[in-house]
Amino acid sequence: MFIKRNYKIFLLCITVLLVMLIAGCSGGGKSSGEVKEIKIGNILPLSGSAAPVGKIGQQARDMAVEEINAAGGIKSLGGAKIKMIYADSKGDPATGVAEAERLITQERVALITGAYQSGVTLPATEVAERYKVPFVCPVPSEDVITERGFKYVFRLAEKTTWRNREQVRFIQDMAKKFGTPVKTVALIYENTAWGQGAVKGWEKYLKEAGLKIVLKEPYPANSSDLTPVVLKVKQLKPDVIMMCSYVSDAALLTNTFAEHKVKPLAFIGTSGGFADPVYFKTTGDNSEYFFDISTWEPDVNRPFSKEVNEKFKQKYGYPMNAEAVKAYTAMYVIKDALERAGSLDPEAIRKALAETKLTSGVTQMYASEIIFDESGQMVNAPLIISQFRKINGKMERVTVWPEKEARPGWKPVWPFPGWDK
Amino acid sequence: MRNFITPRYYLPALMIFILLLIPLFISSPYILHIMAMVLFWAYLASAWNIVGGFAGQLSLGHGVYVAAGAYVSSLLFANIGLSPWFGMIIGGLVAALLGVIVGYPTLRLRGAYYALATVGFAEGFRVILINTTKIGSWHTGGAEGFLVPLLGDAPQHMQFMSKVPYYYLALVLLLIIVGFSFWLDRSKLGYYLTAIREDEDAALALGINTARAKLIAAALSAFFTGVGGVYYAQLIRYLEPNAIAGAIMSNQIVFLAIVGGRGTVLGPVIGGIFLTIIGEMTRILFDQVMGLHLFLYGIIVVLFVIFKPRGLIELVEKPYEKLVKMLNGRRVEGAS
Amino acid sequence: MGVLSSIINGILMGGVYGLLAMGLTLIFGIMKIINFAHGAFLMVAMILSYWLWKIMGLDPYLSIIIIAPLMFLLGYLTQRFTIKPVLDAEKDVREPIGALLLTAGLAVAIENFILMVFGADYLMAKTAYSGASINISSLSISVPRLYAFVTSLVVAFLFYQFLIKTELGRAMRATGQDRGVALLMGINVSKVYSIAFGIGTALAGLAGIVLIPFYYAHPSVGAVFITKAFIIVVLGGLGSVHGALVGGLIIGLIESVAAQYMTATWTAILIYFAFLAFLLLKPSGLFGSRYEW
Repeated sequence: MFIKRNYKIFLLCITVLLVMLIAGCSGGGKSSGEVKEIKIGNILPLSGSAAPVGKIGQQARDMAVEEINAAGGIKSLGGAKIKMIYADSKGDPATGVAEAERLITQERVALITGAYQSGVTLPATEVAERYKVPFVCPVPSEDVITERGFKYVFRLAEKTTWRNREQVRFIQDMAKKFGTPVKTVALIYENTAWGQGAVKGWEKYLKEAGLKIVLKEPYPANSSDLTPVVLKVKQLKPDVIMMCSYVSDAALLTNTFAEHKVKPLAFIGTSGGFADPVYFKTTGDNSEYFFDISTWEPDVNRPFSKEVNEKFKQKYGYPMNAEAVKAYTAMYVIKDALERAGSLDPEAIRKALAETKLTSGVTQMYASEIIFDESGQMVNAPLIISQFRKINGKMERVTVWPEKEARPGWKPVWPFPGWDK
Repeated sequence: MRNFITPRYYLPALMIFILLLIPLFISSPYILHIMAMVLFWAYLASAWNIVGGFAGQLSLGHGVYVAAGAYVSSLLFANIGLSPWFGMIIGGLVAALLGVIVGYPTLRLRGAYYALATVGFAEGFRVILINTTKIGSWHTGGAEGFLVPLLGDAPQHMQFMSKVPYYYLALVLLLIIVGFSFWLDRSKLGYYLTAIREDEDAALALGINTARAKLIAAALSAFFTGVGGVYYAQLIRYLEPNAIAGAIMSNQIVFLAIVGGRGTVLGPVIGGIFLTIIGEMTRILFDQVMGLHLFLYGIIVVLFVIFKPRGLIELVEKPYEKLVKMLNGRRVEGAS
Repeated sequence: MGVLSSIINGILMGGVYGLLAMGLTLIFGIMKIINFAHGAFLMVAMILSYWLWKIMGLDPYLSIIIIAPLMFLLGYLTQRFTIKPVLDAEKDVREPIGALLLTAGLAVAIENFILMVFGADYLMAKTAYSGASINISSLSISVPRLYAFVTSLVVAFLFYQFLIKTELGRAMRATGQDRGVALLMGINVSKVYSIAFGIGTALAGLAGIVLIPFYYAHPSVGAVFITKAFIIVVLGGLGSVHGALVGGLIIGLIESVAAQYMTATWTAILIYFAFLAFLLLKPSGLFGSRYEW
């Protein structure tokens, strides 16, 4: 009897689950029969731990496409509208590959954008290359993505090592400007693809600049305790501390530095965790006067920057970030290429993308000039340094370097003034 | 000869026949890719089943063996040009060796230690993979992952432009592991393992060298899993330590086998096929709500453990038996 | 000075690890189940404690009076309604694998449920003492970690007294030693299981509460600590409560002190392989009873 009842409960539970599945099926199974449209596939992490960044990328793309379609679509293709198709990679390389296959062979997309994580982008771009479908990467920064001799891959972002190059240039510039010689640097980075890529760049450019690396400390991502690392740094007393961390470790590092009152000339972050809005929430004042590098800030002194960000804020309730700006710009780069290609032939689109030269229009909010080199890599990605400052009791990112793109009236505070604020 | 025309033989034969014909009717590379992955997961679940099901030793770190097979074969392929076809054997053997390393100290003890050791070993192995960028002069890529060189159509190196060969390869692997499980289930070793699973103390009392039997099972399971890793490496052509050796890979394998029915020949296959398809569907349908599909996944596992500990196979077995009986009856009628 | 600082830090963190491991080892010692959902319970308590602090301004340490009973209840009900049926079905098996899998499934479900409801944000209760430190010359001791350590010790002491001195504690230990005999002695084994699982869960909850003033809660935070807890439990001897505390201190010290001489990544690897070596040489752990294994 008991077993019978159990069996019923089990059947009931399974039925409920299946009904949920089927309900989802009928909800998701819409098919549109429009004739004149250009399908663009987008691979993003829409579930899993990176889902929030996947979502903001999706919103930025949608906003750009709405604008493009409202303005008459692609005119050289008879006003064809762009249709976005999103695919969830879960942040997993194998899923990214399957989704790239699906977008190309099932959905028959004209081109693909994505895939946020370098780890997913690497194999997914290979699929696109195999089918000869153009792939535009607005975010992933691992150097090797555009160093494989691929013809159909275009990157609208900086390489990881470019950030390191600019950070080192910034240090040298500050040292000269404020007369505080910098000799030693400590590198703290998470032991992931991103961190290991960054350390290569740091080593190269720091060596070129004649700076001494006194500590190279990889730590496992999501550490339970970073005090040991902080204590090690404290012993060595480096002039500058450079960090490459996601948000949990970035915040943990910052707070632990505060607890142990480590005081170098400067703390410099490498975007990622330091650029996450949660970072300010969990560190509070501790992060004041830290530096961070990125390609875009809400206060950056560039045309269209304020307007587009304002519109985004109105629409979705929170401001853009650098990654959203890249995704947004990517859609306009694609629009421009489609206009010039005048056909959906992948080869024509590829050729048009390769010949991109955008020096006006809304893409100015990201870069004054967008061109790709032979490898499909954007030339001169615009990198800027911001400093975290407390303004009216709230932490803000203030663009301070280079001078011409800095927030008007603001200058970097160097050296780090200490913890007794 | 007459025995071979009974439903017990022709039904499985029919199923294999259908699986063989599938690529003739499906031209979409995406669907074929997914089907190859489905068969691949079923294969991995069956490989896990040797130690996790037949021997009843819970391994929660099978990702290690997938990674071992994938990395060993790909490194040999990229550096000395050894074909992954040979790499399959070497990768499998290395995986088996790792299986022995984890199993030897712990399988002498009670199950909990083995389960914990597999978790610890897998984590340690993953961190090492992330932290190692070079073995001698061979680049492993560290956390950046390892890109398997793309050669285009190179059957001698297990690379194909079409998805059809990958599908058939997965099918062959699956048939091999099912055949092996079938044999194991009826072999002396299989009886030992069943005895150990049911009551280890009694098995010991009967004079079975339980530690040895378990260790053999662990090594066999690791070997087959490693072979699967080689296949994965050539299908995806990108090895990322977190994706391939991480907890998600390891847990996935276990869940498939459990839901299907551990300790049975076909349970893990059914679980692998069923859950992978469900997983693929929930992922496409529920991408709006973060975490929902894994939540459903977890709930399904919990429900199965509580209400259907023997797994899906239990639900499939009865109708199948009925079908066999029905077909049998008809044949007899027709003959008379 | 650097070494002294790192020793102090290692001990402080080790206490918290020990507290977490204590719940795990208790559940194992009595029920012979490795609770893979232990990390998920830690996470639930951290999130609850965060929201109590965020919404009502309740200090995490004060929220113990609400959260500890809640976590006990959660554990009690989990055992009663999910684990018990599985155990009943596997009555004759000495080490129930089904129950082990069940907890693994529960962990996935709980983590993703929290992800669905609360999102993937990193949450931390920034209390007044969160960033504070006591400075003695160049030595600095983190205040929230010190509180966490002291609380862990107090809880461990009280819990130990409970196990040794009370009737219920004795019943629990008896059940852990021999379920069959305990049953014959008139102990309600099923109820003892529920209580043990409840207490174990509450201990995980306490560990979560002491962490929240200086560590971030997010749906998969359990994974950060759980593997460490597994290692500690084996090190101390599966089922040994004081072994868990000592094991926690050892792991905390290794992690903190060894990191001064090698990179933090290699410390992690060192811990995993010390663990495997330990399994090979002394599988019963520091305080485990030998005949059991």
